[in-house]
Amino acid sequence: MVLRTGVAARALVLPTAVWLLGAPLAGQPPLRRGGTIRGRVELRRQPAETELRPAVTELGSHGPHDLPDRRRSVVYLESAPQPAFAQPQPRRATLDQRNESFVPYVLAITVGSTVDFPNSDRTYHNVFSLSKTKRFDLGRYPRGQSRSVRFEQPGVVRVFCEIHSHMSAWILVFAHPYFATTDAEGRYRIDGVPAGAYTLAAWNDGVVRARREVEVGAEGEPADADFALD
Amino acid sequence: MLALMAAVSAQSTASADAPSFFGGRLRLGGEVSGTLGSDDKGFFNYSDYAVSRLRLFRIDLAAELRLASALAVLADVRTDNLETPRVYALYLRVTPWPGRAIDLQAGLVPPVFGAYGRLRYGYDDPLPSLPLVYQYLTVLRYDSVPARAEDLAAQRGRGWLVGYPVGASDPETGLPVVAGERYDTGLQLRVGRAPLSAAVALTQGSLSCPLVHDINDGRQLSGRVAFTPGPALVVGVSAASAEWLSRDVVAAVPAGSSWPSGRRQDALGVDVEWSAGYWIVRGEAVWSRWGLPAVAETLIAEPLPALGAFAEARYKIVPGLYAAARLEHLGFGSIGSALGRQTWDANVSRLEAGLGWEPRRYLLLKASWQHDRRDGGRVRRSDLFAGQVLLWF
Repeated sequence: MVLRTGVAARALVLPTAVWLLGAPLAGQPPLRRGGTIRGRVELRRQPAETELRPAVTELGSHGPHDLPDRRRSVVYLESAPQPAFAQPQPRRATLDQRNESFVPYVLAITVGSTVDFPNSDRTYHNVFSLSKTKRFDLGRYPRGQSRSVRFEQPGVVRVFCEIHSHMSAWILVFAHPYFATTDAEGRYRIDGVPAGAYTLAAWNDGVVRARREVEVGAEGEPADADFALD
Repeated sequence: MLALMAAVSAQSTASADAPSFFGGRLRLGGEVSGTLGSDDKGFFNYSDYAVSRLRLFRIDLAAELRLASALAVLADVRTDNLETPRVYALYLRVTPWPGRAIDLQAGLVPPVFGAYGRLRYGYDDPLPSLPLVYQYLTVLRYDSVPARAEDLAAQRGRGWLVGYPVGASDPETGLPVVAGERYDTGLQLRVGRAPLSAAVALTQGSLSCPLVHDINDGRQLSGRVAFTPGPALVVGVSAASAEWLSRDVVAAVPAGSSWPSGRRQDALGVDVEWSAGYWIVRGEAVWSRWGLPAVAETLIAEPLPALGAFAEARYKIVPGLYAAARLEHLGFGSIGSALGRQTWDANVSRLEAGLGWEPRRYLLLKASWQHDRRDGGRVRRSDLFAGQVLLWF
């Protein structure tokens, strides 16, 4: 998993590295209103259900909990025009803790964004991450309270709950705005992409599972790019 | 077992899921821990004559096999220092109404008494050691008893290897107040309805000596009621009572002896856990008494009482790093003998403090310093250092 996560992390860090080196996609015009990349990500395999660890020391069975939606994927440009990095579009996002599950399971944000972690359960939760991109520990807090974290580096952040070991989530922090999370049917749409040729990556549950080339025309016609992930 | 651990660990990778097979019907979990500490010449941390908590390599594999929606088999197999693996838990769990907190468990079941006994996984214990009341070896044995108060007094502070004239003659390890390293065999029922929950168990052994096989035709009745007014606080009250001596030692008691203090172990316990933010604070007190035969002068005419208590706190300093400390005392009641009036076992106190570091998920490193004091025995003071590596999945 470390290796698989590493693949994803490199892919996400790459745009920043390119920008820092001053060598983004060469000769790109300034960022302007652009075209659309759209498509569908099909998961051929059935995502594994979350499994609780055996509660051998407990006096009874564990109560019900929600399952994370692991069908959600993130599609993003592996490289992007340089101006995209100079215009971060930070936003505020929410990763809820509900029925002993993080909702959503996958959250994609841009660098500089702040994520709120409200607790909607009657029990305590203790959100933390030991990821290199962002290490944080929010401590234990009850229902109705929330804590926030600002993400200042691109990369992959694995989020856990210290109290409920079956709870986990992913936060993907991008250095550019050209990414999208799939909907319940696997559809995605990335708008405002400047004309050009790009490598598009499809990420699911910790792994970049597919890449493909895509060309966005100057005429503004949508570029279709479907993925079938094994 | 190592190969199996490696295989399932590889499958679990860095996922939050337990490794599972057969469509999730079989789930596995486990941990591997290695603890290396100073030479414990005073046997303060021994749970057996040969096994110290501070010098221990442990592999533990737990499994849950779901036979039906209301029926599961749970098992836990463990090896200490690569010795023959032994079954730690093996029981059937029946949940007649899924979604409601009513469970019936039968077999080699977890203890209902107290709270710390169920914090079995190393990840739950912020320090490498176990609390004294759950681990420290007193001078009592289930299969051998003193004839006179003087026999008992002569063994004070020697619980790691103790022998008496009545019953089994070979010196063996004594019993802890509550055995935190073994499960008992029997039936238990858990019922929960917030903010209260209750559990009651009928088992073969006693708190000090949980058993797989019956040794005395007696049964232990134990129970705990927990009050959870909110997520921050849990308060539990426990009680247990059992015949604790083996039928062999009872049979070996000379004719004409009496049992003025009975032959039961009775215990009461209170446990509290409070947590908020970066803090977890736990406290527990266990009072217990054991009945022994009055064989010869000076007679042991009263049950032998003991009171153990501890308080521990853990505070997270930065993500992945915490500090923890535990302060505890285990005291014993006094008896009169030709040697004067003194506690029937040597009182013990312990202060332990340490750090825990989690460089990545599923890997925890602990380091601790422990100061022990005892008012009897060969070694009366001890300063011990220990480090522990813990991998779990």
